[in-house]
Amino acid sequence: MAAQITPPSSSSSSLAFSSEFNVWKPMRCCFFNWVSQVCPRIRPTNHFRIKSSNGHPLNAVSMQGGMDGSPLAKGINPEEQEEFFIDILDKEEALSTLSITVVGASGDLAKKKIFPALFALYYEDCLPKNFIVFGYARSKLTDEELRNIISTTLTCRIDKRENCKDKMEQFLKRCFYHSGEYNSEENFAELDSKLKKKEAGKLSNRLFYLSIPPNIFVDVVRCASMKASSAYGWTRVIVEKPFGRDSESSAELTRCLKKYLTEDQIFRIDHYLGKELVENLSVLRFSNLIFEPLWSRNYIRNVQFIFSEDFGTEGRGGYFDNYGIIRDIMQNHLLQILALFAMETPVSLDAEDVRNEKVKVLRSMKPLELEDVIIGQYKGHNKGGRAYPGYTDDSTVPKNSITPTFAAAALFINNARWDGVPFLMKAGKALHRKRAEIRVQFRHVPGNLYKRNFGTDLDKATNELVLRVQPDEAIYLKINNKVPGLGMRLDRSDLNLLYRARYPTEIPDAYERLLLDAIAGERRLFIRSDELDAAWSLFTPLLKELEAKKIAPELYPYGSRGPVGAHYLAAKYNVRWGDLGGEDD
Amino acid sequence: AVATKVSPVEKETPIEKLKSELLSVTSSNEWDEKAGFDINENESTVSITVVGASGDLAKKKIFPALFALYYEGCLPKHFTVYGYARSKMTDAELRNMVSKTLTCRIDKRENCGEKMEEFLKRCFYHSGQYDSEENFAQLDKKLKEHEGVVSDADLLSMIIFQSDVLGGKVSNRLFYLSIPPNIFIDAVKCASSSASSGNGWTRVIVEKPFGRDSDSSAALTKALKQYLTEDQIFRIDHYLGKELVENLSVLRFSNLIFEPLWSRQYIRNVQLIFSEDFGTEGRGGYFDHYGIIRDIMQNHLLQILALFAMETPVSLDAEDIRNEKVKVLRSMRPLQLEDVVIGQYKSHSKGGVTYPAYTDDKTVPKDSLTPTFAAAALFIDNARWDGVPFLMKAGKALHNKRAEIRVQFRHVPGNLYNRNFGTDLDQATNELVIRVQPDEAIYLKINNKVPGLGMRLDCSNLNLHYAARYSKEIPDAYERLLLDAIEGERRLFIRSDELDAAWSLFTSVLAELEEKKIMPEYYPYGSRGPVGAHYLAARYNVRWGDLGLDQSA
Repeated sequence: MAAQITPPSSSSSSLAFSSEFNVWKPMRCCFFNWVSQVCPRIRPTNHFRIKSSNGHPLNAVSMQGGMDGSPLAKGINPEEQEEFFIDILDKEEALSTLSITVVGASGDLAKKKIFPALFALYYEDCLPKNFIVFGYARSKLTDEELRNIISTTLTCRIDKRENCKDKMEQFLKRCFYHSGEYNSEENFAELDSKLKKKEAGKLSNRLFYLSIPPNIFVDVVRCASMKASSAYGWTRVIVEKPFGRDSESSAELTRCLKKYLTEDQIFRIDHYLGKELVENLSVLRFSNLIFEPLWSRNYIRNVQFIFSEDFGTEGRGGYFDNYGIIRDIMQNHLLQILALFAMETPVSLDAEDVRNEKVKVLRSMKPLELEDVIIGQYKGHNKGGRAYPGYTDDSTVPKNSITPTFAAAALFINNARWDGVPFLMKAGKALHRKRAEIRVQFRHVPGNLYKRNFGTDLDKATNELVLRVQPDEAIYLKINNKVPGLGMRLDRSDLNLLYRARYPTEIPDAYERLLLDAIAGERRLFIRSDELDAAWSLFTPLLKELEAKKIAPELYPYGSRGPVGAHYLAAKYNVRWGDLGGEDD
Repeated sequence: AVATKVSPVEKETPIEKLKSELLSVTSSNEWDEKAGFDINENESTVSITVVGASGDLAKKKIFPALFALYYEGCLPKHFTVYGYARSKMTDAELRNMVSKTLTCRIDKRENCGEKMEEFLKRCFYHSGQYDSEENFAQLDKKLKEHEGVVSDADLLSMIIFQSDVLGGKVSNRLFYLSIPPNIFIDAVKCASSSASSGNGWTRVIVEKPFGRDSDSSAALTKALKQYLTEDQIFRIDHYLGKELVENLSVLRFSNLIFEPLWSRQYIRNVQLIFSEDFGTEGRGGYFDHYGIIRDIMQNHLLQILALFAMETPVSLDAEDIRNEKVKVLRSMRPLQLEDVVIGQYKSHSKGGVTYPAYTDDKTVPKDSLTPTFAAAALFIDNARWDGVPFLMKAGKALHNKRAEIRVQFRHVPGNLYNRNFGTDLDQATNELVIRVQPDEAIYLKINNKVPGLGMRLDCSNLNLHYAARYSKEIPDAYERLLLDAIEGERRLFIRSDELDAAWSLFTSVLAELEEKKIMPEYYPYGSRGPVGAHYLAARYNVRWGDLGLDQSA
């Protein structure tokens, strides 16, 4: 038994061990029937290991301890094992507490995403027993006022509405507010004393969520880390994009953060990595044999990452205009998905192993060239008697702005697996629909016996795997099939998995998953500093060139399919965008 | 429709090509549909004689299929259908009988009554003995009368193309032998010597059984060949006409994603499953003489296996495909007794209803050992399939009606997610299922993350459900096969050497079963069959895919 709680490797020093050991404990529910619970990922492994792993069933603990196959490991009764953990964890739970401080609590993201996600976690019993939520911002608000603001955005999951009101009340009781300046150490010291009071001498772990503009990141981090860090437990800081505007500013930001925080404390969030189908990407790849031989240049002709929004900046263009779509969507969200898609099999699902592989992909890539990029900007458009505004009609955007609201790019990974395979990205605002998807187009069948049946349109006859991230999560594989009937006519049909039809439960928001991971110390879905550097180095030269040369974007009407330049870019690499085909899509 | 159909194996001349161009005033779509017909359409007639017209198969399948083809505009312009049997009947009586089983396709009901009338007007009856050359000569005379009519269009084409039909129409004749095997030869002899076409082709469709073993099958083939050439013999296996069996080759050869997977490297085993949810129900006389292995396995399932496992043919032409199929069959190890499990259903009472045992059937001997269920493990000893078990299972009176192909893939080597599955790795492998009937579907089982905050995996299906995707009714296998026979497309018919190879796999084990009087394992009517099938599968480390606990089983 003793072997079970021993840290699995010598890499965990005893000090580190104790600090991780005493963290918050997951709820009992997660132990009794871990399989059927919503929060099974938080499992004891996390508490005994510095490098948290992706949550394995209890019996995996012994295997990781090197006892795989030993008679002792086999002799352990799983129930005893469970009780054993619960004992420890009960004590642990009673002694520790978690404080979540949302810095920038009056902002939009906090109201729309963070507080609702925290409530959802609470509602699903995924938060520890002792926790409090603090809002921090400059506005003067009372606790009551904050609770009022929050309560208007909380919702209960559709599938179980019982006790919703009660739960909401209980949650709000744990929410507090502290007003202060973002650069005032004094104000953060006040926060600290309030936190200490609530924590009542228990082992306190603290999570700061920075939902604030980038120019005050560093100030807040300085103040929070110096004045409001936890004395005994852990202190973690979640930061949101933008992480700089280019390699230099990003490196500078990282350097400043590291003055006050260690790498382990920084949780750079990319909420696309928390999307259900992005998480599923690795599962699909690594737990289905059928995809294994296909996942390379031998079978894949090109891969497409597509993001589109059906609305523009709508009066909020101030921030966007300074960044543009490439920084806002491509360099982070789409590139992250690309890295997950293309990485080699990691040694394990542990955060460091996965991120090591992602960095390798990014470092194998060719920096993006100007000729492989198309940029666009939406212009005003009248449809059905309604006038949709152009980007520069937005009052928060300069009239002469040439910031791209649309971009398409072709990237290449120069490694053995992907040499020569175009990875196409496309992202845009004010397009004809809202969509995020990954499309994998396979090569044509060599020496196809059925060639004559297609006439000349062999392009349409290749297989395609589509992962639709949003909306309406789905996976489908386009295959050629015989049209039933007496003739021999082929068409493309889909092998389908529509999530709505298969999984009736609501899919949790990306923020819930990411917050839970940050609390559990699971870093797999957060971006490491070296990853960020590698990502910027791919885009920085191009971004500079675009700005230096003042390249004018191709204008496209609001609500259209985007500039035609994207098609020419694709055509250059003999690719056809999968989302704009003649078919149903 | 064009691709496979414009290259009939029959003679094709530049004149015909020209003519087809002249005729193609129809829209290109329509042309697609029609290109399949005999190119001699306008100058030729087809006479289809159903020998054994009063039988069950004729009534239930053959006449309805012919009508469906007519209704879809798939039959040549000039055709007549003759029923031939011993019963005395008038044309009107035959029409009356036939009309009862005709139905119009659900999707287009217009003119159905009219079409039916027109079709029935072309149906005639001739009564005669199956072994009487005289009776067949009378039939020949009647056929000639129908074939003799020359239309203006024919005259015109004769003038324009100076074709070789100046002596009269080309009359093609198709005989469908829907009769017991013991009179096959007699009927073939009489038909070929007294009722063959003088100037067109004469083809004969024969139904199973093609003998009981290698020797009797070879004898039958030899006898047939006394009167017919290989080209004239169309051995029908109606499973090959099923939509999803036809689609099997399309899936394999027109989808790159399946190409690397289709071998021992990725496929752990293949299962060919056939089940019926009823017994012999008073018609066990024929069955008892053959048993399930001969009735289903040696023909239907083995044919599907050969199509599944064959190497890529040079082309889709019939001879190329059949060459590849023969190669597969000849690479197979003859079935061993230890790799076979047989069963027979016994009576069972459920919900107050008593279901009879096989031997309760009056037409079956009380002490019959004939298997109504069998499971077998076969192996193909070639580079692609060495060591991959091909499991077959066929049975009557089981809990469901089903025909499907299941391809189970190997486990993921070094699976990162191993721990998420606990110990049940078996259930975590991918599986491709092609459901031939009922409810045609293709689905691929994949492992997927269950949406939610945890990391739990489950098995989900990538689905293609035909009823949802294709609104059209799927044509009956007989329609396709009759049309192919009329067109001379032999891809879906069984060549003599294929048949020989198929029998040589099963003959020794069949003989051994009978010699040793091996007792079948009894299983209750309506059950999932004898457990022996599981032990057989377990021997090769296989789990039957259709009896799992998951939703799609």
